[in-house]
Amino acid sequence: MGQAIGIYGLIKKFNGLTAVNDVSLEIPEGEFFGLLGPNGAGKTTLISCLVGLARPTDGRVEIDGVDVSQNPLRTKPCIGFVPQEVNVEYFFPIDRILEFQGGYFGLPIRASRARAEALLRQFGLWERRDVQYFRLSGGMKRRLMIVRALMGEPRVLILDEPTAGVDVAQRRELWDLLRQLRAQGVTILLTTHYIDEAEALCDRVGIIDRGQIVELDAPRTLIHRYCSRRVVIDLAHPVAPEALRDIPGTWEVTQNGYRLLARPPAGDHRLGELTEALMRQLMCEPAQRICDLQIEGGDLEEVFVQVTGRGIDAAAHP
Amino acid sequence: MPRRIRRRILATLLRREIYRFARLLKQTVVPSLVTTLLFILVFGVSLGGHIREISGWSYIQYILPGLAALGVITNAYANTSTSLYAARFDRSIENWLTVPISPLQFVVALISGGVLRAVLVGVLTILIAVVVVDLPVQSPLLTFAWMVLMAVIFASLGIVSGLRAESWDSLATMTNFVLTPGIYLGGVFYSVGMLPEPWQTISYGNPIFYCIDGIRGTVLGTADLPLWHSGAVVVATAIGMFSLCWWLFQRGYRLVK
Ligand SMILES: Nc1ncnc2c1ncn2[C@@H]1O[C@H](COP(=O)(O)OP(=O)(O)OP(=O)(O)O)[C@@H](O)[C@H]1O
Ligand SMILES: [Mg+2]
Repeated sequence: MGQAIGIYGLIKKFNGLTAVNDVSLEIPEGEFFGLLGPNGAGKTTLISCLVGLARPTDGRVEIDGVDVSQNPLRTKPCIGFVPQEVNVEYFFPIDRILEFQGGYFGLPIRASRARAEALLRQFGLWERRDVQYFRLSGGMKRRLMIVRALMGEPRVLILDEPTAGVDVAQRRELWDLLRQLRAQGVTILLTTHYIDEAEALCDRVGIIDRGQIVELDAPRTLIHRYCSRRVVIDLAHPVAPEALRDIPGTWEVTQNGYRLLARPPAGDHRLGELTEALMRQLMCEPAQRICDLQIEGGDLEEVFVQVTGRGIDAAAHP
Repeated sequence: MPRRIRRRILATLLRREIYRFARLLKQTVVPSLVTTLLFILVFGVSLGGHIREISGWSYIQYILPGLAALGVITNAYANTSTSLYAARFDRSIENWLTVPISPLQFVVALISGGVLRAVLVGVLTILIAVVVVDLPVQSPLLTFAWMVLMAVIFASLGIVSGLRAESWDSLATMTNFVLTPGIYLGGVFYSVGMLPEPWQTISYGNPIFYCIDGIRGTVLGTADLPLWHSGAVVVATAIGMFSLCWWLFQRGYRLVK
């Protein structure tokens, strides 16, 4: 399979400020790729170079193997783009906005209207079709942006924080939709501040910081590489560390014996064996009961903190 | 890209431009026509008898082709400059930059939108004049062509302003301090031949003078310069301005970061 998106040595400077600093990245056809990074990391700038809103200072950007700056009229028809900041004619009714958008991709008027109707229905906007854009609610506006991006039947869908301000139910629906599109073979590139979103959806994520990709892999792999997970067991009766001394592995007893912490051995991420051994030993004491059990750590959030040295929310509100 | 697809894209852009100004006829086309009627009322009915004839035409007849030019120029300029500036304002211009539209299609669509609105105003003005003040039109086709050329020039100027403007005010500044004086001093209300020197020579440096003098020539058959002379200036300016716009869009001037 070919590369849907190819970025090679991309550099973008704004009068001395380097927003994207030598990024190389290949996204194969059909992949769901997530781009994570704190504010100002360069996500939007990188995407702008892909869709034709910014000209690279150096390096090359390709869609389906076609150079974006040299042949934009061949790359643009493949792309559906949901920008971070809304860019719609404020005073146009939304069915017009969509009909025109279809036309910009070469659809005849009727086909464009039919497609707009199908998408408006699917996204629960059909009743509001003749409402001017600016009269929609914030979440509806975001949904319209996504609908508009689908008007050209894109093979590559690029979404820059599509779910900011969308309610939880809508967000889940959007996730389902994105999964469906992916199943149809659409390549998806998504930036998001919601780490659970990236974890739930993406085949691979790239973490970008100060214009550079600092980590790149499948979410699971990254979590295993960076996260120190642990099992926390709260007990009804205190346990003495001596009672567990025969069990190999990293564990400790805290809170005067009421709590037991277990960490996986170095170089491994599995907690099952150790937890099982500890539980067996605990249960030798007939009165012992387990009050609560938690697994801490082990999500992309932690990877993000480890890699960038700050939390995504901390970065969002410096 | 197949030709059929390119045609549809261009047609969509055009429909969008027309939709934009047609929604706002009261703000776009009607004011120019009201202005014309006011002029007819003031100079035709109330003052007309007190002003001398010029080259054998009553004063209102003499100034009407110029008033049509005024409508053409201001509407062509207003249409492209506000369309483009509004698109920058609500960022919808960024959407256009990410869909498969070529720079040439852009420029052609924007200018055509401006030309349509401008020529609509120009033709209606002349029609009103024909009915109300018995304006003869010597060569209607030439008048029409002249309007189109003028509209191309000022629609292009509107594109340049729309790209450069940093506020709605700067668009109005251009209209108030460049276009309107240029039109008023370009011979709408008098024959430049009546001016003392150096004003006559200065007027020849004003491109709008050629537009107005020429359109009067096509309508009345009376003009300060021979038609081929003003025609050459107008055609060359139109081609130059169109090319400038095309070049700016190709470079992504003020559009691509
Ligand atoms: N048009 C511009 N002119 C000058 N600097 C810019 C421009 N656009 C972006 N920058 C700068 O480039 C850097 C990267 O910005 P970018 O918008 O790509 O970040 P981002 O990762 O998308 O951030 P966010 O999560 O806040 O959307 C920032 O320092 C920003 O100030
Ligand atoms: Mg951004």
